[in-house]
Amino acid sequence: MRTFSQYISDLLKGISSLLKGLGVTWKEFWTKKVTRQYPENRDTLVISERFRAELVMPHDENNEHACTACGICQMNCPNGTIRVVSKMIETEDGKKKKVLDKYIYDLGMCTFCNLCVISCPSHAIEFSNKFENATFTRDKLVHQLNHEGSKLREKKKVVKEDKE
Amino acid sequence: MVELIIFYVLAIVISVFSIMAVSSKRLIRSATYLLFVLLATAGLYLLLDYEYLFAVQTAVYAGGIMVLFIFAILLTHKPGDRVPNEPKRQRILSIILSVAGFAFCAHIIFHNINRVYQLVPANEINVKQLGMTLMGTEKFEYLLPFETISILLLACMVGAIMIARKRS
Amino acid sequence: MTHYSQPLEFTGLTRWFDSALRSVMPDFWAIFIELVIVGIALLATYAVIAMILIYVERKITAFFQARIGPNRVGKYGIFQTVADVLKILIKEIIHVNKVDKFLFYAAPFFIIVASMLTFGAIPFGKGLQAVDFNIGVFYVTAVSSLGIIGVLLAGWSSNNKYSMIGAMRSGAQFVSYELSGGFALMTIVVLTGTMQLSGMVETQRYCWNLFNGHIASFVAFIIYLISGHAETNRGPFDLPEAESELTAGYHTEYSGLQFGFFYLAEYLNMFVIAAIAATVFLGGWMPIQIKGWDAFNQIMWYIPSYVWFFGKTGVLIFISLWVRWSFPRLRIDQLLNLEWKYLLPINLVNILLMVILVLSGLTLTQIF
Repeated sequence: MRTFSQYISDLLKGISSLLKGLGVTWKEFWTKKVTRQYPENRDTLVISERFRAELVMPHDENNEHACTACGICQMNCPNGTIRVVSKMIETEDGKKKKVLDKYIYDLGMCTFCNLCVISCPSHAIEFSNKFENATFTRDKLVHQLNHEGSKLREKKKVVKEDKE
Repeated sequence: MVELIIFYVLAIVISVFSIMAVSSKRLIRSATYLLFVLLATAGLYLLLDYEYLFAVQTAVYAGGIMVLFIFAILLTHKPGDRVPNEPKRQRILSIILSVAGFAFCAHIIFHNINRVYQLVPANEINVKQLGMTLMGTEKFEYLLPFETISILLLACMVGAIMIARKRS
Repeated sequence: MTHYSQPLEFTGLTRWFDSALRSVMPDFWAIFIELVIVGIALLATYAVIAMILIYVERKITAFFQARIGPNRVGKYGIFQTVADVLKILIKEIIHVNKVDKFLFYAAPFFIIVASMLTFGAIPFGKGLQAVDFNIGVFYVTAVSSLGIIGVLLAGWSSNNKYSMIGAMRSGAQFVSYELSGGFALMTIVVLTGTMQLSGMVETQRYCWNLFNGHIASFVAFIIYLISGHAETNRGPFDLPEAESELTAGYHTEYSGLQFGFFYLAEYLNMFVIAAIAATVFLGGWMPIQIKGWDAFNQIMWYIPSYVWFFGKTGVLIFISLWVRWSFPRLRIDQLLNLEWKYLLPINLVNILLMVILVLSGLTLTQIF
């Protein structure tokens, strides 16, 4: 007889636990939906600052950047995303100097590992938040990061800023 | 007119698929053809306006027995393989036997067809009548056979459990 | 019985149409045309209901998971299923090598025909029933059992282990649960004394079967919902197509419209189960009526019967979806335990209880 009472109590326990489960989902059914409607909410969209969407090279108002074309980022990149093309120019005082010609970045190859940004000695590059990177052809994923006609920021200037 | 057309369609379906069921070389296809035969038979009952038997035929044969057939066939070794032909002597023998059986049945049906519908009541036998007859104890009522068959089925079930249970 | 005015019913329209046809042509052709129209109407309703159900299910599912669900195609995504249907229609049917061709192509038809046959016998409203067999309930259980053959054949002929395992599971599940589903309906047949669906609706004019047989009816109702749910291979009972272990179960190899057939039949089976439950337990298309309250009854009759029917069915479908998104999938032994150790014994006792209730006059209509 013990087994029969166990059978009944099992049954009742089963039913009550099922009802509890149904209660949970019932409450969930009426909760406010938290889905963000992406293209419509572009204005209010909040993206975490640490989000790595695309590599950029910040330029200041004089169209100057901080890249010395040392190539450390290129060496650190695990899958050859970055190609630093440098050229030799002659400065006013007659010295030869290596400056940045083209900074080619292939978004399609990038794994967003952040190693280039960490290893850059002059903080010339960083990851931006601009995440809408879809294009129709693969060629368009290859960006040139330094702007047309930009040049290296003078070192003295940087020192001055540091002092202030 | 319409009933005649439907009857001929069903008859053709039944005969064609019966032959295919026995002549198909794949076991599972035979089962499917047999299913079509059973369904067409159910259609004949529907044509006779005997809906109860139609539902019984569909539920028991098409829905129950055929499912178990297919299930059992699926559990066999290689249900999709082509079965080799029987030896020639055996085939001829079976053809002769089936033709003889067919002739025998056809003879009886042909000579008694006019007597049958006098014996059967003209109006439809409804489910209630059927149940009452099955459960009654009067003359021409079937409680005893019904119970005997249920004991037989019970014995089958007990046997099945005995075979299937774990040996300790 | 007082006659209530029913302004929005189809009975007047169909009767007028019938007499108009008969006045211009011989009876044979009139009936023929009517049959064709009824067939087309049923097929159209079948497809439309399936599309609506797919949309509704996706929406409700999303709500249960704190999402919004389809919301891109049209306002609130109402044209999502239309887009899906178009997609599935123009999709290629992939021909699989080494399948049993005949059975592979025949299997989806078995399933769709079985669910269509059941669908045809449902009383959608007053006078909106294609065939009214006097063995209605029995017919429905008999014909719906044909679908499983399609599943078994599909699983076997696909020449794929996953399909095969899925089909075997589905077969075991269907054969077991069909039993308790049939017994639950039989309980109500004991109560009403008729198997005709229209007769059942008529006997529930003042008191639904669910309340008429109180305890026994209620147990039968719950059991029918559970076993019906299991028969449709959905919810916690979807182990024949458990995608985490069997990719998609018995319809793994199907694509395009053939897969569409399986998909359609699954949704329609859900509808058919809910519709049968509504008809047998909740009074079908009969509006809520109270004996003697003529004014109230008249107001209820102003709401057309098909609205009542679809309302009751809709509630049951919602319950089915609610269950589906609440419980985790069962294991096969748990599934069979539930049927053979709980539902079936309870069901047998329940039928006995119902017989006692009816014979000793303890049903609600007999008491009051």
